[in-house]
Amino acid sequence: MTAAAEPIAYRRPRARLGRRALPYLLSLPALLSCVLILIPFAVAVGYSLMRYRLNLPMLRGFIWFDNYRQFLTDPAFWNTVGISLLYTALAVLLELLLGLGIALLLRRPTRLNNFISILLLLPLMTAPALAALMWKLMTNPNFGILSYLVGLAGLTDFRWASAPSTALLTVVLVDIWVYTPFIMILLLAGLRSLPRQPFEAAALDGVPASFVFFRITLPMLMPYIITASLFRMLDAIQQFDIIYAMTQGGPGDRLMVFQVQAYLERFQYTNVGRSAALLMVLWLITNILSNIFIKNWLRLRERAHGHA
Amino acid sequence: MEHSSLVGKVLHGLALALVLAFFIFPILWILLMSFQDNETILRIPPSLFFEPTLANYAALISGKLKTAAGTLDIPFTHNLFNSVVLSAAAVVIALLLGVPAAYAFARFRFRLGEFIAFTLLSFRFAPPLLVLVPLLQIYQYIGLADTYIGIVWVYQLIALPLILWIVRGYFEDIDRDIEYAHRIVGHGWWNTFRKIAVPLAGPGIAAAGLLAFIFCWNNFVFALVLASADKQPVTVGALAFVTASGIQYGQIAAAIVLSVTPTLLLALYTQRYLVEGLSLGAVKG
Amino acid sequence: MSLELKGIRKAFRTNVAVDDVSLDVADGEIVVVFGPSGTGKTVLLRIAAGIHDVDAGQVLIDGRDVTTESPDARGLGMAFQNFALFPHMTAFDNVASALRARKATRTEIAEKVEAVGRLLKIDHVLSHYPRELSNGQKQRTALARALVAEPKVLLLDDPLRNVDAKLRYEMRLELPNILKRFGSAVLYVTQDYKEAMALGDRIALLLHGRIAQVAAPAQIYELPASVEVARLFGDPTINLVAVDPVADREEVAISIANTRLNLGKGLRHAVGLSCTLGVRPEAINLHAGPQPNSLPVEIIAETPLNEKTVVLTKAADGQELLASRPSGSSVRLANGRAYAAFDPAAALIFERDSGRRIERRAA
Repeated sequence: MTAAAEPIAYRRPRARLGRRALPYLLSLPALLSCVLILIPFAVAVGYSLMRYRLNLPMLRGFIWFDNYRQFLTDPAFWNTVGISLLYTALAVLLELLLGLGIALLLRRPTRLNNFISILLLLPLMTAPALAALMWKLMTNPNFGILSYLVGLAGLTDFRWASAPSTALLTVVLVDIWVYTPFIMILLLAGLRSLPRQPFEAAALDGVPASFVFFRITLPMLMPYIITASLFRMLDAIQQFDIIYAMTQGGPGDRLMVFQVQAYLERFQYTNVGRSAALLMVLWLITNILSNIFIKNWLRLRERAHGHA
Repeated sequence: MEHSSLVGKVLHGLALALVLAFFIFPILWILLMSFQDNETILRIPPSLFFEPTLANYAALISGKLKTAAGTLDIPFTHNLFNSVVLSAAAVVIALLLGVPAAYAFARFRFRLGEFIAFTLLSFRFAPPLLVLVPLLQIYQYIGLADTYIGIVWVYQLIALPLILWIVRGYFEDIDRDIEYAHRIVGHGWWNTFRKIAVPLAGPGIAAAGLLAFIFCWNNFVFALVLASADKQPVTVGALAFVTASGIQYGQIAAAIVLSVTPTLLLALYTQRYLVEGLSLGAVKG
Repeated sequence: MSLELKGIRKAFRTNVAVDDVSLDVADGEIVVVFGPSGTGKTVLLRIAAGIHDVDAGQVLIDGRDVTTESPDARGLGMAFQNFALFPHMTAFDNVASALRARKATRTEIAEKVEAVGRLLKIDHVLSHYPRELSNGQKQRTALARALVAEPKVLLLDDPLRNVDAKLRYEMRLELPNILKRFGSAVLYVTQDYKEAMALGDRIALLLHGRIAQVAAPAQIYELPASVEVARLFGDPTINLVAVDPVADREEVAISIANTRLNLGKGLRHAVGLSCTLGVRPEAINLHAGPQPNSLPVEIIAETPLNEKTVVLTKAADGQELLASRPSGSSVRLANGRAYAAFDPAAALIFERDSGRRIERRAA
């Protein structure tokens, strides 16, 4: 076997070094982008501790936690917190109920059901900003089909996103339209992966459907429900696209959720420091949520890929 | 859910019809609208039967939009071009960076790897503006502001975690012995990576790439912050459209249709992998 | 020595998989690593292949230390339990990959793959993908891939595990010839003792990560190093009886159920020790009437097993003993009673606590 012996001799030293360094070499580019993300993040932390207004460059300087301290007494901040939480709670709760309902409707893997579930993915794959524009057209008072339909029902002056009383519901509706399929598709996959035996046994024993649902289906589906809800919460509390495209936070401050407020703070009022502090508060919330989420998600992932 | 009774079956069907109507109707309505002229759109009650016109699309493609005040030059095709360039470049780079890293994370358990994987994942869930606001200042300082490269790089925030985590799962699902067998007959790791690991994870890599493309295409806030008009993708461009006064509604609808169609087609094409992609590999469809 | 393992130790976290294992395989020799599952056989093989690093010890191939070298630099052939074929390549390309790695020319590849395909009787399915092959064909393709480059060292990880019984039987007959033809040093892992006996020039018995005995099959069967080794070989398993040897003039005797039995010469040093007697069932002969060196037993049951019949008997004190005799040579035994006679020379004596066999000493 001289043919095999020759390359061995010259490969030897390289193999030793390469073997230990290999994983690091392979992930070096990814590490680099990782570091490059951490830089702006660190800068953001810095900004949040500064008085930094683009229109008053002379006043720039560290004021430490003053930006945060001001939040405590600022009604605009608490409005932002309240609206963000309300938006998140409403959207995720409704999407969860609706998504679970649809998943149950489509549970049996028939060809028709599969086809419908694919169709339902379309809203999810529509850019949220564009979805908001679609709904903006549909709720246009002059020609919007939805305005026409509620007009038929007697609500002639229903102003959707332009009226303070209905603005939140309207953007939540768009959020539901876009993201319910996300919950639906995850729960559907979860439902279809459940073992059959408990359900067959229950059917043999003549257990009532409501009991099966609450005592068997729901508990077994819980990991999927938790993961899907946390995933959605993380996105919903940072919602920007739909709200900005639809109303830019208005009418008034009705839809000033965190990121919209922070965006306007930076690009309209040029207050970089305050904008950064606001985002840091949001980051803190999402970070707590994402830690919980990642734990749940890892568990599901291990189950899906069958290894630790 | 078995429905033995007729009533149950009817209710089931009715519920599904309602669901379909709610989720599909808006797309159909916008599609119809894009083939209508202004008079048809403004007609009350709305009419299902009308003479379809391609004028809206023609105007968009020529870039000359008729408004009440005259003709407006809006290069919407340029927005489409930007979307294609930005998303495609972002995905290609994310694949080049992400696939080797995903392989390293799947095959070698090392601390730094876990750190990278989870840092990128946690930024997937961090508020994008948190990074974008300082990044804009940094970009302005180093001259990357309003460049394709600068925007494409930020798109890695979307594409990289997605590719890393999905592809990692696919690599982990390959039987290690197959790779060892290839190494033992005499191939170096690079050869084994190229000839065994990548082809076997191929469907997953393709799906992750297409999904990343969809998400990059659909992104709004990155380009809103970082791009000026001539670098803007369709998501931002279409918004400018709506706010510009006097543009015909049919043209807005046509712009939305053109902006949405590529991702919807890709979604239908990749639907088999969407569940796994959307859950970053936590749920298999 | 073509393959040498020296003082190999490998632990996974705190779990020691193999400990201080030394083993060598000469050119053209087949050494079977045998042991129950979970004793580190596969780990040992993978260390030889370079899949696992070692915590201590050396791997030498042709005298060259390859301990830290990657698998591709070792010039090996290996067949896996689950075949590990490349699913996206045809059987031909699977086999050819070993030659491509060695930069063989196209005609050379075609020739060699065809040749090894004919040898392993897969030449008619070379254009198929693994999913189109039967388990037997997959296994032969995996073997062909391991053999085609005529590696100096061949590692076979229980290659017959996942094929059906008939095929396993055929391959057991066929394999030694095929392997010998290539002249490689073969390290062969199995948990089937018959496979070990049929294929091995020598058997290395691995127990709890350590080598318990390395010897030719017949020797391991006749002179097992310990009780544990003795129990792993033979079907039905060896009879084990707790005994306390006593001196019997020049020789040694024991008693079972108050019957005194002579163990022959060379065991005087076992007197006074607590021991275990080991007798293989085929070394016990049943007779209708009393014989020298025999004890009366009651016949409980008879079971035919392959070409012999196993007889379960019980001594007066309840001690059960298995005897076997060739099927068809039935001895009619009146009312279930018999005398079990055994050859003193075939009796094995083990130290009870350590389980180690006590050698017979000459003189």
